[in-house]
Amino acid sequence: MVTLEDVLDSGMLKKPSEDEPEVLERSDSDYHPLHTFTLGKDLQYRQQFADIYFLRLTKIKPAVEEIASIAWEGTVIGGETAKRVERVLDVRQGELCWVAGTVYVDMPLKPNILEDVSKDRWISAPSTAQHYFSDDGRDAVMLEDDSGRIRLVGSVLKSHILVTGCIIAAMGTENINGEFDVIDIQIADLPPQPGRWELSKPSQNDTKKEPKPKSEDVEMSGSPSAAPSKKIAFVSGLEFSGTDTSHAMDLNLLLEFLLGDVVDPATQAELSQISRLIIAGNSIASEAKEHPAEDPAERKSAHKKYGYDSSSYNPLPSQLLDKFLSELLPSMPITLLPGAHDPANASYPQQPIHAAMFPKARAYTVLPGSTEPGWLDTVTNPWEGEVEGWRFLGTGGQNLDDMCKYVPDNNRLGLMEAMCRWRCSAPTAPDTLWAYPFQDDEPFVMKKCPHLYFVGCQPEFGTRVIQGPDGQMVRLIAVPSFAATREIILVDTETLDVSRVKIAT
Amino acid sequence: MDKYKKFLAESVISEDKVVTYRLLSRTLGVHVNTAKQMLYDFHKSQNDRRPGAIHATYLVYGSKDGISRSSYGSDGDIEMASSPPDVDYLHNDTFHSFELTLIPEERLKYELGFYDEVASIHVYSIEPGPMKDMALLVDAAEEVLKMDEGEDFVKPNVIVNPKLRRKERTRPASKPVSGAPKPVKQEVKPAFSATKPAVVASKAKEAPKPIQEKASTSAASKKPPALKRGASSNSGIMQAFSKASTKVKKDASAGNSRAATPSGDDSGMHPMSDDGEDDAAVPHPKPREATGRKSKKEREEELRRMMEEDDEEEEQEKAPTPEEEPVEEAVPEPEEEEPEEVVTISNGRRRGKRRIMRKKQVMDEDGYLVTIQEPGWESFSEDEAPPPKPKPATSAPAAKGKKAAPKGQGSIMSFFSKK
Repeated sequence: MVTLEDVLDSGMLKKPSEDEPEVLERSDSDYHPLHTFTLGKDLQYRQQFADIYFLRLTKIKPAVEEIASIAWEGTVIGGETAKRVERVLDVRQGELCWVAGTVYVDMPLKPNILEDVSKDRWISAPSTAQHYFSDDGRDAVMLEDDSGRIRLVGSVLKSHILVTGCIIAAMGTENINGEFDVIDIQIADLPPQPGRWELSKPSQNDTKKEPKPKSEDVEMSGSPSAAPSKKIAFVSGLEFSGTDTSHAMDLNLLLEFLLGDVVDPATQAELSQISRLIIAGNSIASEAKEHPAEDPAERKSAHKKYGYDSSSYNPLPSQLLDKFLSELLPSMPITLLPGAHDPANASYPQQPIHAAMFPKARAYTVLPGSTEPGWLDTVTNPWEGEVEGWRFLGTGGQNLDDMCKYVPDNNRLGLMEAMCRWRCSAPTAPDTLWAYPFQDDEPFVMKKCPHLYFVGCQPEFGTRVIQGPDGQMVRLIAVPSFAATREIILVDTETLDVSRVKIAT
Repeated sequence: MDKYKKFLAESVISEDKVVTYRLLSRTLGVHVNTAKQMLYDFHKSQNDRRPGAIHATYLVYGSKDGISRSSYGSDGDIEMASSPPDVDYLHNDTFHSFELTLIPEERLKYELGFYDEVASIHVYSIEPGPMKDMALLVDAAEEVLKMDEGEDFVKPNVIVNPKLRRKERTRPASKPVSGAPKPVKQEVKPAFSATKPAVVASKAKEAPKPIQEKASTSAASKKPPALKRGASSNSGIMQAFSKASTKVKKDASAGNSRAATPSGDDSGMHPMSDDGEDDAAVPHPKPREATGRKSKKEREEELRRMMEEDDEEEEQEKAPTPEEEPVEEAVPEPEEEEPEEVVTISNGRRRGKRRIMRKKQVMDEDGYLVTIQEPGWESFSEDEAPPPKPKPATSAPAAKGKKAAPKGQGSIMSFFSKK
């Protein structure tokens, strides 16, 4: 409880003072983006998607089998010892065995490419289904590899999250119906985690401050404890819109907050510790709702003389975003991930939003040919990088949203954890999540365990820490959509502690 | 120091405007923190004099851990229902929760009750009365953004970033290579547009001309003047007429003196030298008649040739062909047929631009692919042996001028004769 009397002697509630306000310096950002998800310029799309599954299986299967053999070695059930079989097709009826493979979940509500083809629909629109999951037991879980597939049954399945594309090992027996009765399931668990500062060096703190202690004193004066740790700000779903202005004031307050214009000098000093802003998708609102299907013929007749057709394209949202970025950039570097609504490609991995979208802010983007990351870094979605020495992995949210359609509840943090433990950041690609048909590499496989895994554009904020068998610790953050919740997330770069700032008007 | 009081009194009391601390800071050029204090001071002094004279909106920032908000009026707090479960939402870790809130003064006391701790409070804006709509603040904020956009306006940022990296946007200096062709094009175009007047002129003066032209046997030398006129004074037809005769004379004499130069012009000049006599000189009527008669055959031939050429781009190779073919052939489509070149000769290399036809596929409105031919310019450089230059120093510039001129003229003339 705070009463009015408590705050009345606050520094800002008095007559203007004559003393010169000090200028705060923003903390430096140690930033080393990785280009794991960057697609080459000369890729083609003629190949099949099957290779993704094959690559994923070959990459993750050894880890799964290792864990499974430890867990099930010498397991005796009903007088029978569990044996490992190499391929799904090698499972013999009545034999207790275990096998590793890719999960495929067949759901009647799921979009089906064969259906599209049979109906002669060659260009499919993004799926609008809210849920693929149906409660009537028609959903079937299968385990498959390059040899074949077998249907999984058993009550164990209910206690595990399973979506298409994840790699598991299952122990059980094939029953009389040719189904595999599952007794236990093992997954790969967290991949090896790199140490902090693996790719970059903590440069500035010690080296810079020691030579000139004077400046240090000045910096310290505003802050209570010595060397406050830096913070990273996360926000997603800014949804700049040309029509919906309901959160325009909140966006303004967000800008003033990040710039440090609001609040009093002591808090401003705290805010100066925010060294980077990461925007995790959906910076531009989807206008689809506002424009229900117009008559296409009518649209066609609209003549387009120069540039765009103003009846079908509204430049205002991107202009507003550009203004926002260019206001903020002089004070703070920004990493910008595309999201489902952003002007980038629709399929995973989404490639960076082109700098041409930002006539003003593009002055801060990377120089062509420069190895230094841009001050405004437009990156891929998913994106991986090292920030303040920590390995960050983040997405714009489509991967999690798509997985949520497979499961009955809305346990988003649980799904995020599952992704990490499956070692796959987009398991449902390419089945229900559009993806590039990779041939040589499957970038969605987590080779290294991130320290921080964030997923943008989520309906609610959520965070927790998960731990792995080898002492890995992963901070999971579901970054809420700003347009829906008016919330931004601050992460302490020393402890990875999370705090939430809510803006209300 | 009391400037701000005057400004605030004017804006808020007289003009009924909303003034935020940022707007005040931008307008008066003071630090935002000072602006916040100014707002407070003004608000206090006014309301001390007359309670409720002006209205203030406060901004409060502080921690709000674990206290759920109860419903209060219509403050539009959507999160009320979900905030309590948030805390233990799916084994959520505990986290600190802060809130940044804009609070009208009448609700300040009440809202403060929900804070565990207030880190910062200040006046965000003052306005004539309670605000019904936050849109007024948005307008004020946009005004600030507009001010920030000003070119030489130095933003009074509270937190500066010493590591800021920004691209220096240097406009790519127009390279001489790319710069050169343009003028040439421009020159050529006016020539075309001026064609008609020029033709009229030449026709009108046909009678006097022949004599002069005959006198100056070298046809190439004659044409340049017409071209020049067309190019330089394309606006003034009358000028062209009036000066025509005199210029021709001059040029003729110049041409004579430089008898050697035409040879240097090579392919560029050929069309000119060949046609020259026909086009401009006495026999003019005859060729016209001839073209009229021949045109059918000619056109058919043309068509056939064009069909054949469709597959390969022979146009580039066309340079020699005009020499072989009489002007009449070129007549139907002068623009296509006559490769025009702008040639500069340096160090024994011929460089320049020549006119070619390019094929272009475009999709039309109905989605069909249509192949069209478009005239375009192609630069080339050849390793030809430099033409013998008797007077290198003087001829070089002169030759250039002439070259450019002949082309234009030649094409113009042929254009006329066609019709």
